[in-house]
Amino acid sequence: MILEFLISAVGLGALYALLTIGVALLFGVLGLMNFAYGEIVMAGAFAMYLFRDQPWFVALLMAIVFAVVVALLSERLAFHPLRNADPVTLMIASFAVSLAIQSLARMTVLPRTRGVPPEDFLSHRVDLLGADVSVLDLLTLALCGAMLVAVAWMMGRTSLGIQLRAAAEDFQMASSLGVRANLVIPSAFVTVGVLAAIGSAVLVARQGAVSADMGLQPMLIGVVGAVLGGMSSLKGAALGGFLLGAATALLESLLPTDLIAFRDAFLFSALIVVLVVRPQGLLSGAKVRVS
Amino acid sequence: MKKLGPVTRTVETPVLLVGLVLLAVLVGVGGDVTIARVATLAIVSVVFVTGLSIFSANSGVMSFGHVAFMAVGAYTTAYLTIPVNLKAALFTDLPGWLSWLVDVHAGFLVALVVSGLAAAAVGVLTSPIVARLSGLQSGIATLALLLIVYNVLNSWTDVTRGSSSMIGIPRNTTIWLAFAVAAVSIAAAWGYRRSRSGLQLQASREDYWAAQASGIAVGRHRALSWILSAFVCGLAGSLYAGYLTSFNVNAFFLSATFAFIVMVVLGGYLSLSGAVIGALAVSALQEVLRRLQDGQFTGGSALPAGTADLILAAVLLLVLIMAPLGLMGVRELSLLRRRPVSGERPDSGVEVVSEPLDRATQGVARG
Repeated sequence: MILEFLISAVGLGALYALLTIGVALLFGVLGLMNFAYGEIVMAGAFAMYLFRDQPWFVALLMAIVFAVVVALLSERLAFHPLRNADPVTLMIASFAVSLAIQSLARMTVLPRTRGVPPEDFLSHRVDLLGADVSVLDLLTLALCGAMLVAVAWMMGRTSLGIQLRAAAEDFQMASSLGVRANLVIPSAFVTVGVLAAIGSAVLVARQGAVSADMGLQPMLIGVVGAVLGGMSSLKGAALGGFLLGAATALLESLLPTDLIAFRDAFLFSALIVVLVVRPQGLLSGAKVRVS
Repeated sequence: MKKLGPVTRTVETPVLLVGLVLLAVLVGVGGDVTIARVATLAIVSVVFVTGLSIFSANSGVMSFGHVAFMAVGAYTTAYLTIPVNLKAALFTDLPGWLSWLVDVHAGFLVALVVSGLAAAAVGVLTSPIVARLSGLQSGIATLALLLIVYNVLNSWTDVTRGSSSMIGIPRNTTIWLAFAVAAVSIAAAWGYRRSRSGLQLQASREDYWAAQASGIAVGRHRALSWILSAFVCGLAGSLYAGYLTSFNVNAFFLSATFAFIVMVVLGGYLSLSGAVIGALAVSALQEVLRRLQDGQFTGGSALPAGTADLILAAVLLLVLIMAPLGLMGVRELSLLRRRPVSGERPDSGVEVVSEPLDRATQGVARG
């Protein structure tokens, strides 16, 4: 029972951490609070729907392709011309991008919600150390965990990762030290696309459906997690996302039934309190970077 | 400038703006039912963006949460004006401590004012947030406010009917009443803008730390303008409910927020004239797009749902890229357009800078 809950809570935490990094990375590099992030997730989810008859990893691969393409296109068409704009303008622009992608999806491929039949192997349950655990929870944990390790490796060990971190720390300083904006910014969007695609694969497996407005929830998770963790560092943001996921799992099992519907209200009230009392985030000791 | 007296200069902009709204009224009165509906809702939008601009134009802080105030206004009007016997049938599960909601009843004008006051009360509760935050954080916090209000309205089914529509509100909003409220709101917004508090807030918009250092209590003025703007947005919600007679909680969520953002950004979110012009222009644009989507221009073949939203989003993006401060920038509507902007109103020196968000330009303008 405890183990079961632990695996599902840690799995949800890992998923939320993944979504949060996607938001925090772009915020760090560009100062962009990306509300179109949910639509990048939606693009990946749509690929999962489109290739639902193919083997699962083929669908996953296509989800990555779709999400990366949408992420890069949004950079090229909307955020590139606004590169020197202030954060609030960028935020409004990302609102517009979000609505544009959503309406495009609604006009063409997703006029209504589509069901995605769950993969057979996901609905199995296995016996793990005496606990009855669903494969879905295990997969969530494994996939998101692996992705987090991969991101940590890329950020820590590769040249690109170091450039990305430098740009997130101080974009002007980094560019005057030879970090090329035209390399770093698109690769940040590519990274975000990959993260969003993995997130979308897990989300589709959990929800079993794809719709044009499915991006709202993952986007909000990413934003709240990033704010909670402190947007100045990726590690803090990932931790913030993780705690948010674990807290959500906890709230869902602890809140009395008639209050569960108000979960979001509790969550966002906590967000406002954090913003007002500790604007640098719960976990960050550093000074906050504000507009 | 010397030729016009100070009084004329003071009232010039609001009179011009009210004139513009009057134009919309005349279009609505002269047109068919659809046109009248579009015109009335456009004027309700004018009331809303006027309220929004009391806060965001003066403080330079963008709010994504004002639709929550509109929702509070609309629900208050619903509770006060739905006939008592219908209310008894609609709200059968009210918790005991709210059972008085069934019995209260008021005339529409009273309901209008009470709606504004209810929204202002929410504004008082939330004012510490905006008093303390700026820029992006304020944007996120105000968005969180919208999400909280939406979540509560959507989930508290016993009291708010949840996702079912609120029905049976008597139609009390006429186009002329909406016009009167819009005129009063514009006058109030202009009055606040010219007031001591408004000018100090605009100073903080141009340079937060300089204003702080000059002894301006930025937080207090932000809170004041926030509460005033909540009141006006509550009026807009009341008019909205009183015109449509039924509404759904989804009318007060992200798509409405987005539409209002397009209005203020298109017109220029630092200027009252910009907000009013934007509201009228975007309302007209939305109607044209709706007809386009229904196929009235393409020979009857309807375009897929979402076309209108896509075009609206594209318009917003273009405006942000080409003219981030909108059509009006920080200017206000005036007949003295030949003069350079910087000389237009010597009494409000803070408005000389045309790009308040661009620090480089600001430095040049000061130096």
